[in-house]
Amino acid sequence: MSLKNFCILIALLISFLGVSQDQYYSSLTLPEALTEHANAVVRLSEVSVEIKTIDHMVEQERRIVTVLNSKGQNAVGARVYYDDDVKVRSVQAIIFDAFGNEIKKIRKNDFKDVSAVDGGTLYSDSRILYLDYTPISYPYTVEFISETTTSNTAFIPSFIPVWSYFVSVENSRYKINYPDDITLRKNEKNLEDVDFESTNYENWKQVYNIKNIKPFKPEDHSPSFRNVIPKVMFATNEFNYEGVQAEVDDWNSMGEWFNNNLLNGRASVSPETINHVKSLVANETDDLEKAKKIYQFVQDNTRYISVQVGIGGMRPISAMEVDKVKYGDCKGLTNYTKALLDLVGVKSYYTRLYASPSQQLSVDKDFVSFGGQTNHVILNIPQENSEDVWLECTSQDMPFGFIGDFTDDRDVLVITPEGGKIKHTKKYKTEENTQVLKGSYSLSKDGNITGELEMCSKGIQYDDKYRIGNYEERDKDMAYKKRWSYINSIAFDDIKTINDKDSIQFKEIIKFRANNYSKKAGSRILFTINALNRSRYIPDRYRNRTLPVKIKRGFIDADEIRVKLPSGYKVESLPKSTVVENKFGSYKTDIIAESDTVLVYKREFIVKDGSYPKEDYSAFRAFYKEVSKLDNAKVALVKISNHEN
Amino acid sequence: MRINSFIVFVLAGFMLSAQNYDFGKVSRAELEEKFYPTDSSASAAYLYKNRSTYFTYQQNDGFVLVTKIHERIKVYNKEGFTYANKSIPLYKTSRDREVVQGLKGYTYNLVEGKVEESKLKKDGIFKTEMSKFYNQTKFTLPNIKEGSVIEYKYEIQSPFYTNVDVFEFQHDIPIKKLEAKFSAPEYFVFQASSRGFLSVIPKEDKENDKIIFNNKTRNNGRYTTSTTYSTDEVSFYNNISTFDLSDVPALKEEPHVNNIRNYRSAMKYELSYTSFPNSPIKHYATTWEDVVKTIYENPSFGNELDKSGYFESDIDALLSGVSDPMEKAARIFNYVKSNVKWNGYYSKYSSSGLRKAYREHTGNVADINLMLTAMLRYVGLDANPVLVSTRKNGVPLFPTREGYDYVICGIEAPNDIILLDATSKYSAPNVLPFRTLNWQGRIIRKTGSSALIDLYPKQISKNTISLFLKLDDAGSLEGKMRSTKTGHKARNYRNKYNGTDEEQFIADLENKFDGMEIEEFAVSNSKDLGKPVVESCEFSIESQADIIDDKIYFSPLFFFKMNENPFKLEKREFPIDFGYPSDDIYRFNIILPEGYTVVSAPKSKKLQLPDNLGSFVYQVKVNGGMIQLVIDSKINVPIVSPIYYDALKSYFSGLIEAENEQIVLTKA
Repeated sequence: MSLKNFCILIALLISFLGVSQDQYYSSLTLPEALTEHANAVVRLSEVSVEIKTIDHMVEQERRIVTVLNSKGQNAVGARVYYDDDVKVRSVQAIIFDAFGNEIKKIRKNDFKDVSAVDGGTLYSDSRILYLDYTPISYPYTVEFISETTTSNTAFIPSFIPVWSYFVSVENSRYKINYPDDITLRKNEKNLEDVDFESTNYENWKQVYNIKNIKPFKPEDHSPSFRNVIPKVMFATNEFNYEGVQAEVDDWNSMGEWFNNNLLNGRASVSPETINHVKSLVANETDDLEKAKKIYQFVQDNTRYISVQVGIGGMRPISAMEVDKVKYGDCKGLTNYTKALLDLVGVKSYYTRLYASPSQQLSVDKDFVSFGGQTNHVILNIPQENSEDVWLECTSQDMPFGFIGDFTDDRDVLVITPEGGKIKHTKKYKTEENTQVLKGSYSLSKDGNITGELEMCSKGIQYDDKYRIGNYEERDKDMAYKKRWSYINSIAFDDIKTINDKDSIQFKEIIKFRANNYSKKAGSRILFTINALNRSRYIPDRYRNRTLPVKIKRGFIDADEIRVKLPSGYKVESLPKSTVVENKFGSYKTDIIAESDTVLVYKREFIVKDGSYPKEDYSAFRAFYKEVSKLDNAKVALVKISNHEN
Repeated sequence: MRINSFIVFVLAGFMLSAQNYDFGKVSRAELEEKFYPTDSSASAAYLYKNRSTYFTYQQNDGFVLVTKIHERIKVYNKEGFTYANKSIPLYKTSRDREVVQGLKGYTYNLVEGKVEESKLKKDGIFKTEMSKFYNQTKFTLPNIKEGSVIEYKYEIQSPFYTNVDVFEFQHDIPIKKLEAKFSAPEYFVFQASSRGFLSVIPKEDKENDKIIFNNKTRNNGRYTTSTTYSTDEVSFYNNISTFDLSDVPALKEEPHVNNIRNYRSAMKYELSYTSFPNSPIKHYATTWEDVVKTIYENPSFGNELDKSGYFESDIDALLSGVSDPMEKAARIFNYVKSNVKWNGYYSKYSSSGLRKAYREHTGNVADINLMLTAMLRYVGLDANPVLVSTRKNGVPLFPTREGYDYVICGIEAPNDIILLDATSKYSAPNVLPFRTLNWQGRIIRKTGSSALIDLYPKQISKNTISLFLKLDDAGSLEGKMRSTKTGHKARNYRNKYNGTDEEQFIADLENKFDGMEIEEFAVSNSKDLGKPVVESCEFSIESQADIIDDKIYFSPLFFFKMNENPFKLEKREFPIDFGYPSDDIYRFNIILPEGYTVVSAPKSKKLQLPDNLGSFVYQVKVNGGMIQLVIDSKINVPIVSPIYYDALKSYFSGLIEAENEQIVLTKA
């Protein structure tokens, strides 16, 4: 056989193999382009969702994943969540070696069956069946098949071909079918650069096919993973939720349905509580002052406890129940606070949203569904001529109207008796997130420093720090040693923290000392003048940045430090004043020699929030690098001596 | 009369000072208390903690272990609210299970001067089936406020009487008053072992008891059937230990302590033998010999060591033509490591037999290391199992079966024992995974005898770094680096390097050193465990020196210098655990920028820890346009007693200071 013929034969064989699904069982058939930077490859994923009637949905899943190394194990995702409402009809896994030979079959009874309760949750009926398999060697392939049924049709599974970093996808399909009297809506995200087709075939009304997605890699200062992956969300206008049927096609009608079916009639409390809260606000005329009193009452009298029943259980426990036991989850506590505010005539609305400190995830304005769009509840107090007030009802120590990074700056669903509305929560603007540092220290000729400082933080910077106020002495000491970990042997003679909840600022008043702060170099002393607020963070470098730049929250740091120099030394050299300005923010320092022995160091560092194209990343990184370098600028002192050497 | 009034007076005085610890008798004083008198930082405290564990006989089930709990907790502030949630783990097997009974709970609050009580109701109690092996009952008390007093009681009935939960006498919050009692019939002989810094000695008593058996006998007569009832009585005595403690301080987590429970005060009762009338004595454990015997006789341990049928042909093939015993050992060790993968479970017993583990290529710790031992024995090596208590499990001070949770393998060589653990890919002979480095293990020999052996490595793990560096007048550095790592340092490196994509590994390094750029990166012996790992690369990095006017200042260690003292706490009560002795050697040759000369350089120096625990040698030589630097930093022991904490802290502080000293150059 000539070489040419041989090649043709191979090509034929390959194209023939292409028809068979068995190709996915062998690791030898992996497309090379998909293994680069991948820990696992999803060879084939097929999700089919069949809504048989408004209260009967069947989900089937078949997934073949080749795991390339130990970090890829999670990508197998061989697990099914179930609860009182979601039943597992079948589940099975088969393991194949690198050549595609079957080496093990795992049936339902051999899956681990455990409660899905995490440490912080008191009770949840949610359970997981999961595959506990120890790989013998890599690569290996798992085929996982499951089928579940549920009567809830409020949460239709989304089509999410990629669900973690460093995982590539060879083939992923999603099929959905539904009766003619049900209207399906869908919402496509990030499909622009993806090889996909959307059709209908056989009996399936809607089919999606996606091919060849390369792995996503995490990158600093990028939009959240959830917002960059390709995804299609689905919802139906008609659905059943825990026995309550709905017909909605926008957020307004969804809100109305929610209000009428899940909230109404859950607001009554005991007569004692009614009297108590009324007397609490008897002398207040202003609505916000009343609300403040009520919020304080809730904070003082309840605590947060997580109780999860049903996936995404959305109905709050009644205010009466919270009133009795004095605890609840986010839903229960928010509903309770709302009930008390109603009693004293302050209007407020129950609000569903997606809470997460690291990502500001909005509810999609134009696509009404609950599946994956919300995970938390807060309270909205509408205002006529100023920004709305938002209350986090699960916290016992947050100031009134302060929500911090957990729920800030995102679109949320506000539920009113007239229907649902999309509103935007409080954004903490750059100029609100301030940290003002004033202090002084003196340097001895042995290189020791002693000094004191006062630091005042507001906005998101308040949120970052106020919890330190609750720490015990030992833990406070540790926290500050960590903050100034670059000063070897720093010790604190006095630590005072003041959490002013009325003006929402956190003050830290600290007396400190450290030995050998300066560096000795013969008759010279060298020290970094910025002792107390050095920016040491440098964002990671990427040879190939793929995601745009996102700075989620801005801040302003302003420092003014007086430095007393040791006697017997004079300044040999001072760092120059600097001004760095660019689109990301600015950095300014200034050193003034007030006298021969006193220097005043001023510094202002501003980073603004914003979004920029990926090309800007290296400039953004260079900015931080420059600041880190300038924050290390040193003063050189030299001994005043008649016999200088 | 005078006498009577005196008595009344004394009684009244007594009543005033005495607390009433009966369930429900929460006092106003307890509710009014604002902070714990001797520890104002406590967020909550046990006002009263009572546990009583005893045996009862139930005619159908035999002996049952009953544990009664009664706890009264004061919540001082919001941080203490978590103590209002309580979780009770309940063990089960396919046949038997533990159950909770009689759970009652109340919250007491002072409302406008009145004591208000709120009862724990059904909706505050949650039962969850956690897994095949245990259930969980959780409850949360209602109406918790700052200042609340919580009180609850319940009873656990357990069929697993060989397994008495540890009596814990110290927690992360203080205890005002603690009473505990353990009572066992004379038939059950328990070994008590205490741990923790606070010593606790029980009061021992005996108390008579009896069991009444109701017998029912059917008499089948010719025309009638009658039933006669009779009772038998068996008298015996109970051994009772009681504990009575007051004002037990809180013991909180500290950094660099691997398991705080090792240090909290507690008492463990382990069944050593049972001796029922008319039955032979059944041993569980009293001495190390018994412990060893019990473990050895467990079919999932000793028996497994004698079976070889399932692997014989494979091992024969593997070793054909090999005669050197150490070569045989090495091949078998690698064979087990590559053929049987660890499933992540610790155990000293095989889970479903070595044959099955061998067939399925996966098993727990015992499956793997007992199989290794069996194979080594099969080829004529003197290999024995070594019981280990992992770091997680704590330190076994007294003979207990549960003191050990892990098993490795030891080959007896003249004057030495070579330790092997085949569960970890990059562990080598005598380089065990970190989890097993915990005091002493116990080797069990074929004769049934056993001996303690040190698990902490004696061999020093070394990292030697050689660098050729060129500094330019802008403060940038170019260099060639070569490092050689042995022992645990090599094992750590292999774990990290072999588990990461090389490109990512390099990127991580570059980011760790703030913008370093690496080229010609190479690693040799990453998989060859017999040799040290060698890493080499070329790199460049900016901003490594301060340039002030015509002078250049830099620390000759550059980015290798240590900046932070790992010991930040002002004082320390627990040993400092380094895991293994180590030696870091740096050899630097630094070429200075052209046209610059050295103005000043640090002096050579030596720091020494007391009792030869460690040393730091720092030598600088200026040689024309070149600086030579040698640093040798040693920690000679794996674990350091807290009495040396201050010395250690100041040693590290001195070390950091030395490493940060500056060289000053000036333009010639």
